[in-house]
Amino acid sequence: MSNGAAAEFEAKLKKYRINRAEHEMITTLLGHEPQGIEWALFSALWSEHCSYKSSKVHLKKLFNKSRRVLESFGENAGVVDLGQGERIAFKIESHNHPSFIEPYQGAATGVGGILRDIFTMGARPIALADYLCFGEQSAPRMKSIVDGVVRGIGGYGNCVGVPTITGQTEFHSSYNNNVLVNAMAVGLFGKGERVFLSKARGKGNWVVYVGAKTGRDGVHGASMASESFDEDSAAKRPNVQIGDPFFEKLLIESCLEVMAQDLVVAIQDMGAAGLTSSSFEMASKGGVGLKMNLDDVPLRDPTMSPEEILLSESQERMLLICEPSKFEQLQAVFHRWGLDAVKIGEVLDERVVELRWRNETICKIDPDLLVENCPQYQRPYSPWKAKNRVAGSSDVKTGVKNANEFLSSVLKDVRGTSRKWIYHQYDSRVGAKTVRDCADSVGIVRLPESGRGLGVILGCRPYVMRWDAREGGIDAVAYPALELAAKGFEPLAVTDCLNFGNPERENIMSEFVASLEGMSATCENLDAPIISGNVSFYNETMGQNITSTPSTGLIGLRDTVSEIPVSEFSSDGEAIYLLRLPMVATGGATQELNKLPVTGFGQLEPSLIGAFTRLVRVLADYREGGTLLSSTRIVGKFGLAYALARMSMRGTGCRIDVDKLKAARGEVSTDDLFREHMYEIVVTAKKGREQDLEAEFRQIRGALASADLLPIGRTGGQKVEIAGVLDYALTDIQNSYKTGIWA
Amino acid sequence: MKIGVKVMPRKEILDTQGRAVEGILKQHGQKLEHCTVGKYIILDIPETDPKAALAAAKSMAETVLYNPLIETFELEQI
Amino acid sequence: MMKRKCGIVRFPGTNCDRDVFQAVEMVGAEPVWLWHADQFIAKEYDSIFLPGGFSYGDYLRSGALASRAPVMKSVREAAERGIPVLGICNGFQILTEAQLLPGSLIRNNHLRFNDDWVGLKFQNTNRFFAGALRKGTNAKLPVAHGDGRYFVEDDELKRLQDKGQIWLTYEQNPNGSINDIAGVMNEKGNVAALMPHPERAMTEWMGGVDGFKFFEGDLT
Repeated sequence: MSNGAAAEFEAKLKKYRINRAEHEMITTLLGHEPQGIEWALFSALWSEHCSYKSSKVHLKKLFNKSRRVLESFGENAGVVDLGQGERIAFKIESHNHPSFIEPYQGAATGVGGILRDIFTMGARPIALADYLCFGEQSAPRMKSIVDGVVRGIGGYGNCVGVPTITGQTEFHSSYNNNVLVNAMAVGLFGKGERVFLSKARGKGNWVVYVGAKTGRDGVHGASMASESFDEDSAAKRPNVQIGDPFFEKLLIESCLEVMAQDLVVAIQDMGAAGLTSSSFEMASKGGVGLKMNLDDVPLRDPTMSPEEILLSESQERMLLICEPSKFEQLQAVFHRWGLDAVKIGEVLDERVVELRWRNETICKIDPDLLVENCPQYQRPYSPWKAKNRVAGSSDVKTGVKNANEFLSSVLKDVRGTSRKWIYHQYDSRVGAKTVRDCADSVGIVRLPESGRGLGVILGCRPYVMRWDAREGGIDAVAYPALELAAKGFEPLAVTDCLNFGNPERENIMSEFVASLEGMSATCENLDAPIISGNVSFYNETMGQNITSTPSTGLIGLRDTVSEIPVSEFSSDGEAIYLLRLPMVATGGATQELNKLPVTGFGQLEPSLIGAFTRLVRVLADYREGGTLLSSTRIVGKFGLAYALARMSMRGTGCRIDVDKLKAARGEVSTDDLFREHMYEIVVTAKKGREQDLEAEFRQIRGALASADLLPIGRTGGQKVEIAGVLDYALTDIQNSYKTGIWA
Repeated sequence: MKIGVKVMPRKEILDTQGRAVEGILKQHGQKLEHCTVGKYIILDIPETDPKAALAAAKSMAETVLYNPLIETFELEQI
Repeated sequence: MMKRKCGIVRFPGTNCDRDVFQAVEMVGAEPVWLWHADQFIAKEYDSIFLPGGFSYGDYLRSGALASRAPVMKSVREAAERGIPVLGICNGFQILTEAQLLPGSLIRNNHLRFNDDWVGLKFQNTNRFFAGALRKGTNAKLPVAHGDGRYFVEDDELKRLQDKGQIWLTYEQNPNGSINDIAGVMNEKGNVAALMPHPERAMTEWMGGVDGFKFFEGDLT
């Protein structure tokens, strides 16, 4: 190669983000040097974002099956059979990089994308949830990023008419230059209706393009999402993708209509890497070929090149396969909703994707080369070792000097205060199915046919991840599972969004593997498989990696929405208990607030967590004569004092008996009130049901010897009172919590 | 001195509002090729020199009035 | 007895249509879809509902594009015939844009979308909708809107007060509406609208039951 040719070759590798080894593989697979459009195709489909090349070897090991699972990874979303003819689809997905660049549109299109993954399968979206991680308030642009992301989520979800029923928001300096925006959607299938898949089938069937015209939005977005941020990222960013929730609403209604009328063979939305990934994946999964004429793709700008057409990430577009005889009927439905449907190609028997442009074949390639043959990397990592441990639980020092003062400051701090300033901007009740919304710990919708409750909850607490990645991974499933169980819901399945830094760094990859092992083991013990999600690597900006953040979304089922325990004390004189399974004590959130390193004692045990979750669920479930528990709340960040304060928010306080608390926990001190013991749940028994509760606990505890149900006090009064340690008036709690500061 | 700031969606960027308005106008049988929706902002600036006023308006536009990722702006003296 | 026939208008972007459909069924009446591009025979309906949502994405002005749709010709005819017409949220915005009700709904004073439960007070009785909830009654319903701030000129406001056209007011104003107005009606009372969502408060599990009566029809 001459110098000039060598430089040109290097430039190409850089432009298409393909390394030398990959280039060699491509050449071998093709039997020739990649030419023309082939560069762009491999760049997109072999990107980390589309190929999962750094994570696949580990994802394969995840617990992903149960008798209820109908569809798992590989399809647009996971599908779970709830019995009684009811089925749901759900998935969580990240939109981190775009949200940092243009917060409003980035977050909005994140919501739009996850909704398309759901209704593509034939399910009507019925709930949204958002997992957000922001930087410190003082970080540059952070206030406007937070504002833009929240408005973007609301702007899209509210307009498209899907309620946002739960969420989680975290703040930490590791997200200062790389925020996380993960959106989850849940959809419900109509009774007896088909689950639609993306496998193209049937020689001679038509490839049909539906929805918005193609513009230059987000060209090369997928490969950008597979790279760390640096200072030039702003300069080389692609055109921002603009979301149109109004258009999406039309797309939802029309797609569900053509599916209900059985006019569709297969369907896939055009997400990352646009038309390229949708068409090649449909062909590869179906074991067929496609011939497409790019001249027939509806364009917003007629000067677009084939490469731009193939890689555009314009929003609100779908690709579907339909039998030629049904096309007219299909097109009529879309027209009625004001949308275009055009034929752009045909299904071939031969396993080849042929792309035509201006009467020439510009590419003819086996789709499996792009979809199935991407290299899978075994990135170096080291096995997990327990980190940041102390010798005993009393060695976990939280740094709290004065309980009243600390509680007051934590209720006002952005990390401990009410999230109402966020969620009041989201429509929580459109669809008229919402039972509990963001104001509660679990989002709940009522399934209209059976009247059963579907619980939706997010997980992953970054401060636990910062303490120890394995424990953080376990907790990312265990904590939300317990939240479901504490409302009487059986956790059924999990979706995850694995937000990590640069996988080429060993410490990051080690955390990835450790947390995944923890998650998978916990899921297995809960019999709640992980059935959908995505991986977002390269959350690294100017050398700083984010906290490894494997966010999760769980769904749970309860036979009725009657008498679900509330999350606050609601009447005087009820007995308060600690329902606990102590395995770990950590200073977690409290230590971070006091600028101390996070330490802990002990180790989480997934098999115990599974058994404890089942026990908690039975106690919180509905039964003849009424639910035993009137209120429940997990003791989480900032420990018991904070949990009791939150439970007193509706105007009923509590008096904790110090001797009983000491008997339960072995220690009553300022330190211990703000430590977190994993896991503890504060519960109140319904009046007159204390005996029943205690008896039932003894009866079903079985072999779970380390679980306990211990009385610690009674509800009532206008204070949270723990004699000698804490004495805090409810009015102060309410004021601090409601007026807590972000903006 | 009054300066008008016309903020329009960038040409390459999808104009969702324009698309919806265009649709309903066409449904009413109106003849049009294309519709774009933007905003118009009037700034009353305490300057008598048009050059200085325009410079001040430019700075305001760049600070908050437009989003360079998705919009363009033009200034005019009115 | 024949079921009451309730027409429910769907525009592109309407998203509370199915919820209103469900509410009409819950009170035992018969819901019928009415499509934005078609006209209908007004006299065949006992009442007409314009549900909430984001017709045409709320682009240009909330309700503006929908108010010019073909179906509105029939809605106008229904209103003139004295058939009860209820607008909810975006339906309220459409009815004001169509000038079937006075005033306009503009951006909330805090410039944010607001989702919450609100306390309401009936300032006047409307016999066509929620007739059982008389002047002076209180109710609790959810709101969810960004453009819910009711505005009319002073002289028009006075006229509304004099003629008893102010239907509902907020106990705590969530959006800056003039005189805390949450719902208004025309002089006859057969065209009425409110920003809160009665279809989201039909049973205990929804968090409230005060919405039920809005769908029960003329009980006088």
